[in-house]
Formats: sequence, structure tokens, C-alpha cells
Amino acid sequence: MEFPPALFPSYFSAGPPREEGGPAPAAGWGEHGQVLEGGPGPERRQAQPAFVPRRGGTGEIWEPADAAAVPALPPGTGRWIPSPAPQDILYRNSRCRKLRPGKSGATLDFAKQLGHFFVDHPEDAFGTMGQLLHKNFYLGNSKLERPARSSTIRMTALMEDIDRLEARRGCHRQHLASRLRWFSHLCRDWLFEVPLGLLADCLHEELMLQWSDLLFDDSITGGALAWLPPRDTGSWIGRLVHPGGQAMNHLYFQDMVLEDLPHAQGSPAQFELSGRIRQVAAAQVDGEDFVGVRSDYHCGVWRVPGRRGAAPAPLQVIHTDVPASCLTVSPHLPGELAVCTRSGTVYLWNVETGLQLLRDDAQTMFFRDHSPWRWSDFTAHPRVLSCADRTGLQCLDARAPKKCHFDLFKVGEEAGCQQGERVVLPMYLGRAHPSQYLVTTQFSVYVLDERLPLVPVLKWAHMMKAPPLFAQLMPGDSRRSHKVLLGASHTQELLLLQYQGERYWGSQSACQMAGAPQKLHSIAGCLRHLPTQLPHRHHLLQQRLGAPAAGLVATLQEDGPHESMLVFQLSEAGDVFCQRLTHKAVHPPAPTSRDEATTAPGLVPSPAAALRYRRWLRTLYRGCEKRPQHPWSPSLSQRRLFTRRDLEGPVGPSTLQRQVRQWLRQVMQEGGHIQCWEPLALQPPALPQPPEPEGAPDPLSTRLTAAWSGDWEQWWEERSSFSVAQRQRALRERRRRQKRARGRRSLSASFTSSLTYQSELSELSDAGLPLPSPGRPPVLSQEGSPPASSPLAGSPPASPAPDEALLSSQSLRCRGIPKERRKTLRDYLSVWAEGPPDPPELPGSQTSQLCIPSSQSQLSSASQTRRKRPRMGF
Amino acid sequence: SSHEHKLNFRKSKEVCLSYIQDAMLQKQWKRAAEFLTFYVESLEKDYSREQVGPSEMIWRIGTEILCHLSHSSMREFNCFIEQMKTLGIKRYLKVCLEHVFHLLCNGQIDEAYQNLSLAESWRFGEQTAIQDKEMKLIQAYRGLLDYYSWSKQKNILLEHGLDGFVDLSVEQEMHSSFRKAAVNLKEIIKIPGVWDLFVKCYVDLLEFYGDHNEAHQVLNEYAYNSRFPANPNAHVYLYQFLKRHGEPKKSLISALKILHDIVPSHELMIDFTTMLQKSKKRKKRRLGLEVIFAVLDYAGWKENVKAWSCLARQVKQIVISEKHLDWIKQEWDCRKDWWPAFHFSRYLAKRNWQENKSLSYEKALVAGILLGKDCKYFKYVSHQGCKAQVKRFRMLKKFVNRHNPVYLRIS
Repeated sequence: MEFPPALFPSYFSAGPPREEGGPAPAAGWGEHGQVLEGGPGPERRQAQPAFVPRRGGTGEIWEPADAAAVPALPPGTGRWIPSPAPQDILYRNSRCRKLRPGKSGATLDFAKQLGHFFVDHPEDAFGTMGQLLHKNFYLGNSKLERPARSSTIRMTALMEDIDRLEARRGCHRQHLASRLRWFSHLCRDWLFEVPLGLLADCLHEELMLQWSDLLFDDSITGGALAWLPPRDTGSWIGRLVHPGGQAMNHLYFQDMVLEDLPHAQGSPAQFELSGRIRQVAAAQVDGEDFVGVRSDYHCGVWRVPGRRGAAPAPLQVIHTDVPASCLTVSPHLPGELAVCTRSGTVYLWNVETGLQLLRDDAQTMFFRDHSPWRWSDFTAHPRVLSCADRTGLQCLDARAPKKCHFDLFKVGEEAGCQQGERVVLPMYLGRAHPSQYLVTTQFSVYVLDERLPLVPVLKWAHMMKAPPLFAQLMPGDSRRSHKVLLGASHTQELLLLQYQGERYWGSQSACQMAGAPQKLHSIAGCLRHLPTQLPHRHHLLQQRLGAPAAGLVATLQEDGPHESMLVFQLSEAGDVFCQRLTHKAVHPPAPTSRDEATTAPGLVPSPAAALRYRRWLRTLYRGCEKRPQHPWSPSLSQRRLFTRRDLEGPVGPSTLQRQVRQWLRQVMQEGGHIQCWEPLALQPPALPQPPEPEGAPDPLSTRLTAAWSGDWEQWWEERSSFSVAQRQRALRERRRRQKRARGRRSLSASFTSSLTYQSELSELSDAGLPLPSPGRPPVLSQEGSPPASSPLAGSPPASPAPDEALLSSQSLRCRGIPKERRKTLRDYLSVWAEGPPDPPELPGSQTSQLCIPSSQSQLSSASQTRRKRPRMGF
Repeated sequence: SSHEHKLNFRKSKEVCLSYIQDAMLQKQWKRAAEFLTFYVESLEKDYSREQVGPSEMIWRIGTEILCHLSHSSMREFNCFIEQMKTLGIKRYLKVCLEHVFHLLCNGQIDEAYQNLSLAESWRFGEQTAIQDKEMKLIQAYRGLLDYYSWSKQKNILLEHGLDGFVDLSVEQEMHSSFRKAAVNLKEIIKIPGVWDLFVKCYVDLLEFYGDHNEAHQVLNEYAYNSRFPANPNAHVYLYQFLKRHGEPKKSLISALKILHDIVPSHELMIDFTTMLQKSKKRKKRRLGLEVIFAVLDYAGWKENVKAWSCLARQVKQIVISEKHLDWIKQEWDCRKDWWPAFHFSRYLAKRNWQENKSLSYEKALVAGILLGKDCKYFKYVSHQGCKAQVKRFRMLKKFVNRHNPVYLRIS
């Protein structure tokens, strides 16, 4: 408890920080800070004075025992849903921009999220109006008839407009298509089930919340992992307290045997809580462990009696109106905790006497900061609590909290802070020294002594990529350094620091950093040591192992002359990984072995670790495969248009299936083999295209020939003349050509081409022209005789496939669908069956190119041929 | 494409830096050094407008690597630092200062002194506030080294002075060292800060030349100037100075009273309470009780036998005299809701008995008086003590039983 006789020199000034801030990549290296005469004492000053540096002294050597972190527990059975990533909620153009916390350089993709809501929850978004209005929305592609046009909107046109708008995104001079503006103006107020403004507000609020959580989620400050050390020295069984389950709402007390690779012993004591566990804190008082558990609106405390194997007992639960941001357990008095809420209240919670309000102030302490985060911890005096917000720390006396308080740490010039620096995690270092305190910010880590407030006794720029949200202390003694482990969430960084407190080298001395900081393995680092995976599993693993860290715990274990450090890390997916570091006890007098490369980067995991990985993977995949598969392929729900009965197809195998079976049987009998399952493959392989017959040269050649012979003008006349007769002739000419072509092309292509023809004919008929004689037989019968060996080609489907059956006028009628809606329905379904709409006004010569085999399936093209039949009768 | 080139260059620079960082954090110093040789290229095309430019990073990283590489010599280190000094003008003083620290920690006091003198004479344009501070520190450290050489010469003189042989040149040198040290040290301790080392040396100088007033004033200023941080050492130095010079009890007490107000858990509080206890004035004895109770509030003192015996002695005295029981009552009132669990639990009784019998004796006495003879702590310890047939525990039991009514009066 003695105060060091001399402190390292430092300037002291008050006020806001002057140094301009920003993360500096190498700021923590190469400085000694200050020096102090730390020799054997002032009496022996005759010899040269000996100086010790504030930073840069030698520390203990801890070497990782394995190449990577190893799973300590089997993976949780619950399915884990990864939290949103920046690309999920950011506007795509700004994704590549640097994301800097605090500065809003990113644009949230508000419209996309709203769109997702409309698509995913159409019933909630426009259920009522949708039902009332659906006959006024036309989903087909063709033009509307005169009487219908007055009461029906063609949605495809709107969709086109939207697509066009989408394509123009990022263009400054975009203006809305008038049709869209008109539409949105007309129905913005009444179309939506939830008023659009309200919905947008809520969504925006949620998006902002998600985004700020993504930048920095402080609800997990402190970490949700705790370690209850073995009772008696020499025992190898400690207890790990960790959350688990699908919603991380189960609390487990798991006995762990600390061998080379720690493993679980027996089944854990388990408690189901009513909220996601954010923080687990523990402290040992009078030989008993007290475990505090914080979720958003509830805090609970458990007691774990000192006897080995004794069951943990829940003591008390409190409920808060505002989410709690902190729960710490007193290391001094049994059953005492400190609780803070996001509304700025701080309570001392005693299991026997209840809650005592210490502070209720929504404002931050030293300057204005928007963050509602508050923290509280205990100090050397059991009645004095520290109380922190982002701007600093104050100590309050619980007996007179209004009157007795002092400032312990201020983000300001006092501690030499940078501009924009904020407190991230304060921690009482009572086990190392009763009056020491750790404060981490996003840039630096400070050690404070409450006897000398405001002036840090140690400061070091930690250079971590993410702010350290978790910290663990492993106290040393008078000869050994104290070890502090810092952990970040999103980057999973783990950094081991050492410092020497007072009473070093026999005499007291001021705090110094000892040795260089050391990075430990992260969970994600074990990915490259795992056996090679299939790509989708690799991706799954990558996502799982890369989940943000959610807790950290470390313990020292002595085994005779060997000493090792065990570090457990919890991820948001509920996985607990552990790693062991061994202490190299011998301090060689010469600084020869002080430095070099302790771990070769390409080290392989030990056989035991490899076995552990394999087991873990097996359990993980078993859990994954069990989960229900959701086919998320884009599909159209037809449930609201038709009843289930309507949608039921004919019982028994379809024609196609029957034919394929027959074919298969035949091939098996013949002892042949199948090269390709496509029914098309039954046809002889496509021959190389023979040259076009003389009579019908391709349009380009005609044009060139015409140009060569000088009557190009006439050719143009022919082409551009608009006489109907010419167009009809051209069409017939094309049909002839197609017929010829069909002889050597695929079946489906012929369907497509015939379809094109038909639709063009009907376009003409729309224009009020006399129909060309429709006396042609149905399309399929037009085919040239197919190869006899093929059982499929040439014969029309005997019984229509479900879709076809659905579309035929008769079947529609017999299902009770009114006549006026049948057309809408057919058109509507055709939108989904068809490919991109054919350009209606293509010159005839170009349409011949449509004869190339389309990607449409046999079934859908067949259905199109069927749908033509009723139309022919118009 | 020049823009693209810049971007690519910046990217590869960042990647290189992250490799270096990674290697250093895994203590692979050699690997880091190899990467650093590539990183040096970034100096050539330094487009950055960042706070910490590549030259500073090279200085920092290079220094760190050289400090940890086993085979690097001091000569190499000095060579590297000299190059770094020329690399950035703004940082010149900082690099010098760090270099001096390194030399000092390696025992090269003379080289450090030379470097300090060199740095002191450095001038470049207008000094910034930070450079001003660094310059003051450089001067102060030079003053400190002057003080050490003064102290060395003083010791030589004192030794030889006894022989009657006095070397005039040594004496002159000593005085000049004094002057140089005094000027620089006096400067820095005027500026608010933590200057324990400098203040101690300066006061030592003044005391040697008999300037007690000045020394007293310096210490007063260091302890009581409100622009300085509340440094307990400042009060300790003042107290020690007063004690050395035989100042009256009253001023010693007032110095310690202020220390008690700012750090109630300071180790000098034991001296303070003993001093107060010996006083004839009631008010001071009352304060003595308050001080020792306050000391034992702190977790760090929980198992300190000296503190517990202090409290036990005072409590015993009050109980025997049966005067001022209200003092105990007042102190106890604000502690009775948490001291029993904090100090007098059954678990602690067991542990204290096992680990430290005399601690458990003192604590049992206090517990017996404050909580009565039925208190768990007292019962356990006295039972164990009687079982072990230790005489003083039997006496303790008798004493507590006899004075049990006190407990009723204070609770």
C-alpha cells in the first residue's frame, strides 16, 4: 500500500485535449517515455546513478504453446445467424469508402431496406389495399383494352420505369419519370397498411441503430465470459461461466479440467434467461464466487459456494426500464454489485438491502458527449465507487454520493489525451494493487492510481485496430510483472501487456511497462490450420470463426516449475476457444535469447489440437445439416390468387416423366448408355449449319448485293415501306424460312419461333388489320417428321402439364375463375413464363435470329403454345 | 495514372506497415527488420499528410527493433538515431530526448550529457509549444546530471576533507556543477507537473548550501500550489523536510493533516495517528481515532497488523478509561453496516487465524468491543486461541467479556 517515493517526471496542465487525434499506426513503439533514478537507493549514490525507463524494460517471456487457438468446448447446437455486415445496410457506392467511427462517410441504403420489407412482408405492408385493388393492377405485357384501361394500371410499364431509374442511379441529373411520380403521389397516402412516413421513421431509426452498432457496439463491454478459479491451490478444475443457446440466453457453468488442452468435465449447470446475455462478471469474496449477469433489461446475481462441485444458486434479479450498460461485482463485500443504465443512473446493488441510487444524471460529466453508455466499478474503499462515461471517471462515496466525490480521470490535457479520445473500458485492478485502475480508450491504455488522481502513472498507445472492450488482469507479485490482456470485439485482437507495479527489485518503484506487447492468437486465426474444406463449408467456417469476439478470460496456472497462461475467448456465435502460453522462467543474463522469433509463422498444430479441430468440425456440420433448408429462390406466391385446390396438378407422373422412364427402360434393355439427360439429346447431334439455300439469302447479303448492283434505294424502299401487304408477305416469307430451318434445329426453338409469329400476328390484329387466315393447324402438328427413333419429339404432350392445365380456358372456367379475370391471369402468368419481351417492330430479317435455341425449358414453351389456342379464337 | 500510382503506393505502404506491426507484436524482430528495410522506400515518395509521417514511424519502429535485437550494439543504435535526428526537424528534440533516455538506461551517463548539451544548443525557427516543453525537459535532465556530478564531487571532497587535503579545482568544479544544476532545476519545477526527482535534487542542493528558506518555499509551492496535481509525494517531501529540521509538532501535524485529507490511506497515516494519540489535546486524540479508522477502510490495509494494533490500542484505551465512548460510536455508526462483512466474517476469522495469529488477535479485540462477545470473528478466534492455550487469547476473552456493556452502548 506504500506510495512510490518518486514518480516519473511529467508535465501537468488542465483543459481540453490539444493534441490532434487520430489513430497513429506505430505510436506505441520506440519510446522510453521518461526515466527515473531507480537504482539501489539514494544512499549509494557514489557509484553511477542507475536509471530505469518508463517503457522498454525487460518483461517475462510467454510463448504460445500451439499454432492457433483450439476449441475449448463443442460448438453450440443452436443455429447462429450472423449479425449484419456493412454491405447489408450500406448504399453500394459508398461501400468501398473508409469507415471511420464517429464520422458519417457512409450512406445507408434506406430504399433497399424498405424494399426488402415490402417484398418480405407484403401482407403487413399492403394487405388490405392489395386485396381490394388487385384487379385494377394489370401484370401482363400487352396493351390494355379500351374499357379496362380506364380502371387498370399496367404494372410492367411502371416496373420498366423503375428499372430505368435504377440504371440512372448516381447520375446527378436524374429526374423521376412522370408516371412514377404520378403513381406515388396518388397512392402514397392510402396504399400502405402502415402509414409510410411512420414506417420510414421507424426503419430509419433502426438502420441508424444497426449502423452505429456495427461501427461500435458497446453493449458487450466487459465481455460475457467469466472464470471461477480452482478453490484450492493445486486443484486443476475451474469453472467457466459462458452464455450459449440460439439467442445466447442460456447461462452455463461448466467445469473445466486444466490440462494441456483444457476440456469440459461433466455436464454444465444451465439456466435459461429471458434475454440475450451481454455481460458476465465475477468476483471472489470470502471464498465464494459471485457471478453477475447482465442482459438488456435484467440483471441477475448467482452465488457459487466454495465447496467443490456445489451447484450455483441464483440469488436475485432486478429489472430495469432502460437497458443496463454495466454490471460489476464487488471484490470486497459478498453480494454487492454496481449497476448502470443507459439513462445515466448508477446504483449500488446489495442482495440483502436492495438498490441504492448513487447518481442520476443524463448528462456526461466533463464535457458533452452523446453516448448514453455508463460504467461503474469498485475502488480500494468498499464504499467508494467509480463512475464512468465516455468523458472520464469520477469516484463517489456511497455514503454521501452528492457531496463526496473526486475526479479520477478526465479526457483532457491532464492525462495527455488526444482530441476525440473517449473512454472505452475502465477496470479496477485491485488484485494487482488495491489503488490501481485501468482505463482504455480507442487509442491508449492508462494505469491510474486513485491516490494521485487525473495523472496517469502509465500511458501507452496500444495501436489496436478496434477499441479494446474486454480486459483481463493476471496479477503478479512483488517480483513478477502484472499481466493485462486487452481484447477487441470485431477484429478479435488480443494483446498481452505487462507492467511492473510498486515494490519491484526489493524497493518500491513507480509503474513501468515491462517488455514488448504481444499479440495472441485470435479465433479466426485457426482457419488456416483446419483441414481443407469444401468451398461452401469453408465459407461457413470463415463466417463462423470470424464472428466478433464477445468475451475474454485468462488465468495463470502453476504446475511445479512450469507456469502457463490459459486464455479463453468467446465469440458471438457462442464458441469458446482457448490457447495456452508457457512461461520461459529462465532469465538469461545476456540479452541473447531475449528477442528472437519465438513462433515461426508456419507452425502446425499439435496432434491433440488437430484432433480437437476435427471433432469440433464434425459437431458443427452435424448441427448445420440438421437445420431446415429454406429455398430462397425467387418464387412467386400464387397462394393468394388461387386456392390450394386450384393449384393441385393431375395425380401421377407427367407425360414427360413417363416418356423419360420409358426411354430409360429402353436404353437399359439395349445395354446402351445415356450421354445426357436432356430429352433434346435424343435427337441426333446438331449438324454443322449448311449454307443458306440460294432463294433466301440473309438480310445482310441481300443488302450488300443490292448495294453492289446499284439498286440499294429500291431495297430500302422495300424494307421501309409500310404497306401491310408487304409486311404480311415478309412475314410469310419468314415463316417459310423458319419452317425450313426447323428441320435441322431443335424442337424448342421451333416453338419459340412459332410463338413469335403468332404474337406478331396478333399485334397486327390489334392494329385493326384483317387477320391472316388462321386456318393453320396447331403448331406442333406443323413439324416436319421427326426421327423415328425418338419417342419424344413430334408427338404433342398427351395430357397437359400442371401449368398448361391451369391456363386452358376450360380448366379455368371449371375452377370457378370468372371469365373477365381469365385473361388477366393468363397474361400475369405469361410474364413469368416468358423470357424478355420480344421487340415488336424488328425487321423481319432480324427475327430469324430468334430461331436459335432459347433457354426456355421444354415445359414453359409448351405451355405457351397451349395458351395461344384460346387467343386464336378472338 | 499518377493518382492511381499514388494510391497503389499508399496501399502497399500500408500493407508493409501491417506486416511490420504483425511481426513486432509476435516478437519476430528479425522479420520486422527485414520488412522495415522495404518500408524505408516510403520516405522517397512521401505524399502523406498524416499526423504521423513515415519518417516518424521508421524512427519508432527502428528504435524498438534495435532495442530488442540481441546482436545490435550501442554503436549501431547511436548511428541509427543520428540519422533519424536529421530526418525530421519537428521531431529533433523528441528524438534527442529519447536517445538520452536510452543512453541513461544503459549507463552511458557522459554520452547522455554530451547529447543533452548538443540538443540544448539546437535552434530552428520559431519553437512550438511542444518543442518548448521538450527543451525545458532537456535542460532539466542536464541539470539532473549536473546534480549527480556535483554529488559525486561533494562525496570526494567530504572524504578527502576529513584527511585535511582539499583539492581546489574539485571544489571549483563542484560549485560550477551546483550553479548549472540549480539554474535548470529551478526552471522546470516552476512549471506545473510531477517533478519528484528534480524537486528532491534541488532541495538537496539548497539544503547543502544552507538555504533552508528557499528549500522550504520550494517544497511549500510544490505541495500547495493548486496548479500542480495533488501529488502525495509533495506532501511527504515537505513533511520529511520539516521533520529533518526539527520543526514543532504542530506544523508536522498540519502537514500530515492535509495529506490525510487527500490520501487517507497513505502509509504515513500510521505515524500520524501515533503522533496524535500521544497528544494531550482531546481534539487531536479524536482525530487520531478518525485517521486509523479511515486507514482500515481501505482494502490495502485489510491485513496490516500495525494498523490493527494501532486501532486495538486506541479502542482499548478508550474502553478502559470509559471516556469518549461516543467517539467510537460516531466512527462505528457509518461503518457498522459494512465492516462486519468486510473485516469480521467467519471466513476471514478462519483465514487470519491460519495465516497470522497476531493479526487475528488484534482484530478479535476490536471485533469483540465493536460487535460484542457473540460476534462470529471474536468467537472463532478466542475459541481457537483458548484451544491452543495461548495466554493472551484467554486474557482477550476475559477483557471482552468484562467490557461487553460497551458494545451495547455503542450499537
